[in-house]
Amino acid sequence: MDIGDAFVRSSKRGKPLQTVSRAHSRIARYGNSHALHGIDPFWKGAMILRMSLPWRSLLLYSLPLLAAAGFWHAAFPIAREDQDSTKTQITWLAQISSERDAQLQLVKDFERENPDISVRVLWVPPNQYQVKLKTLLAAGLVPDVFNTGDIWLAYMLPFLKDLTEFTERDADDMDLEDFYPDVRNEMFKGGKCFYVPVSMNVSLLYYNEKLFEDRGVEPPTADWTWSDYIDAGQKLTGMNAEDRQVWGSTITGGWWGEWLILVRQAGGEIFSEDGRRCLLDTPEAIEGLTFYADKMLSQKISPPAGRGPSTGFASGLYAMSLGGHASSWITYNQVPGLDWNVQVLPAGPAGREGGEVALAAYGMASTSKHPEAAWRFIKFLTSPDAMERTGGTGLPVRQSVAAKTLLAPERKSHPRDAGIVYEQLKFSRTIPRLPDFIEVTMQIIQPEIDLLLEGRQSPEEAARRATASANAFLDTLAVETKGDSR
Amino acid sequence: MKARTETFWFWLFAGPAVVGFLIFAFIPMLWSLYLSLCRYDVIHPPEFIGLSNYFYLLRNDPAFWPSVKVTAVFALVNVPASLVSALAVAILLNQKVFLQGAFRTVFFLPSILPAAASTAVFVFIFDPDNGLLNSLLAGVGITGPAWLTSSEWALPTLILISLWGFGSAMLIFLGSLQGISQELNEAAAIDGAGTWSRFRNVTLPQISPVIFFNLVMGVIGALKVFDLAFAFGAAQGKEPGGPARATLFYVLNLYDKGFNYFHMGLASAMAWLLFIVVVALTVFNFWAAKKWVHYNN
Repeated sequence: MDIGDAFVRSSKRGKPLQTVSRAHSRIARYGNSHALHGIDPFWKGAMILRMSLPWRSLLLYSLPLLAAAGFWHAAFPIAREDQDSTKTQITWLAQISSERDAQLQLVKDFERENPDISVRVLWVPPNQYQVKLKTLLAAGLVPDVFNTGDIWLAYMLPFLKDLTEFTERDADDMDLEDFYPDVRNEMFKGGKCFYVPVSMNVSLLYYNEKLFEDRGVEPPTADWTWSDYIDAGQKLTGMNAEDRQVWGSTITGGWWGEWLILVRQAGGEIFSEDGRRCLLDTPEAIEGLTFYADKMLSQKISPPAGRGPSTGFASGLYAMSLGGHASSWITYNQVPGLDWNVQVLPAGPAGREGGEVALAAYGMASTSKHPEAAWRFIKFLTSPDAMERTGGTGLPVRQSVAAKTLLAPERKSHPRDAGIVYEQLKFSRTIPRLPDFIEVTMQIIQPEIDLLLEGRQSPEEAARRATASANAFLDTLAVETKGDSR
Repeated sequence: MKARTETFWFWLFAGPAVVGFLIFAFIPMLWSLYLSLCRYDVIHPPEFIGLSNYFYLLRNDPAFWPSVKVTAVFALVNVPASLVSALAVAILLNQKVFLQGAFRTVFFLPSILPAAASTAVFVFIFDPDNGLLNSLLAGVGITGPAWLTSSEWALPTLILISLWGFGSAMLIFLGSLQGISQELNEAAAIDGAGTWSRFRNVTLPQISPVIFFNLVMGVIGALKVFDLAFAFGAAQGKEPGGPARATLFYVLNLYDKGFNYFHMGLASAMAWLLFIVVVALTVFNFWAAKKWVHYNN
């Protein structure tokens, strides 16, 4: 059978392409081109195309090349120049949050006020922010402006521009005196400034006013100690009128938010001053851990590990919460009937000091090609006006902003005693400036704390095991630290 | 001449795949072998430290052996349980019953759902205080355990959740069951063999190559579990791997070291240790298969 016949027969059965393929292979083998005579021009064209093997190979090789070109293009978004060459373009690696619209409006306002600068915003989800930033650092594509703060400062230090000169030069312009003194002290720790704070969180004692009132227990006062806290917690623990279990206090598991406060208030420290040794096995630190576990295991003012209402303090079934976070305030204020307030932390055996202050801030890349433009943008983002417009999830770090928002007399929402925040700030400290703080704390120490809360090991055992593992890590893998880690 | 032409065509068609393998798999593998001997945080240049990463992992890393244990327990329970479940359901679905196609679809459906989505649903079911399961148990006077948040219960819960996705293995078993010789079954029945005896002595030997295939793939899959454990932690709004490393699978630990904390040297060392274990287990499986897998030829 001739190949042309085969094609015609096959196409009548509705299988032209299979036949083209078969025909092509036979043509390729025998060079029987005359066999194409009498075939429909469309299928003839298709056959010729299929026979054109260089095209196919070109296609085969061009696809990966195209993909590679796409990846290459996508990999260097920051390096691309702004289309408008008269403007200086800076890049801001911004966290996606509920304030995204407000932040975008800030960028527009900045560009209007600074027509010579354009801002390219790269949005990143908060839980991927550090990974994205580090990946960009590794690729040498550091954005000009990025979020930082006390927690990440130690790790980011090699890549952060020293802003001391800028802040000294523009001290009046940016009204440095407007920042709370304790915030300013952290900002200029060691005599140098590497970031400008924009908001903060301060550890506090949160309490449910209604639960205190219902049980006839006096609300917390500024002179409370740990024993007052436990006494009140025991009085408040029990069933409520709806036969639901009420707990005297939450217990914060899964991260350092509560136990680190208690370790410090007991006179302990998590790391030595040079950041090279873990000190969690000292008697003072163990006392703090013991108090933390006893809340649940022996005093029973907190629910067993992994139990209790998953919505925490917002559930209205906890009378107190030690530590907490200002980002929850919006949630608390959306819960109908949740009458809550704050007080300074109860004092531990070593005093009241030990609560954590966490600063959210903006920093500039040491490699920024446009430091003046980036600095103008940072100044704009940390101006009182910008802070007022974007400060929904943190506490104000400027006195003028706090006066207009948190401390405003006309403010109606909880907490009523918001001024306590700035009382507690005086007794608060940032976490140690250790590049590996989060890894050591979350990956090495926290699992031992988890077992402590489950009652599967004693505070001494947890402290000993955590300290040994943390020190092995610090000896082997720690990023070199310079100077005082605290 | 013909050989040269064949060589030309071979490279023409195999070329892109070979180039892709070399660029995206083989060279990175060699690079990771080198990195496993280095301290490398992505930002600074790699610093050669010999076998220190391996020594740290095996002697000092508090997370390494727990992650090995979690993965081993998961593999030892999940692989046999998945195989038995998949085979049992495949046998049921091989029966000629009304709505046979619908049943097959229903049982296969879970395996095409993303692990992240199905795990989020299971987290809702297993929530210790507000979950569906403990609410049902409370209805009959039983206080259910803290399925997700207790270090004793988290891994068994995760294993239970993982059994939901046996559809792929089931489908392969089903195909295999449909291909077995009915003549042998009938001959055995005539000789007086009962149902169990026919299953054990006729059906099982005939599908043993497929059991072997599912076993090998199951073991490799169990050693590489990541998405399940990651979604398990993320769906609870917690750090994946907890509580107390109870769900810290080997690959999750590797990911944390490499991509959360940028210890690329340690992560590479972990990847090579896993590679060695996977190869060893697969070789062992092939050796053992000679004793129980029956091929027609």
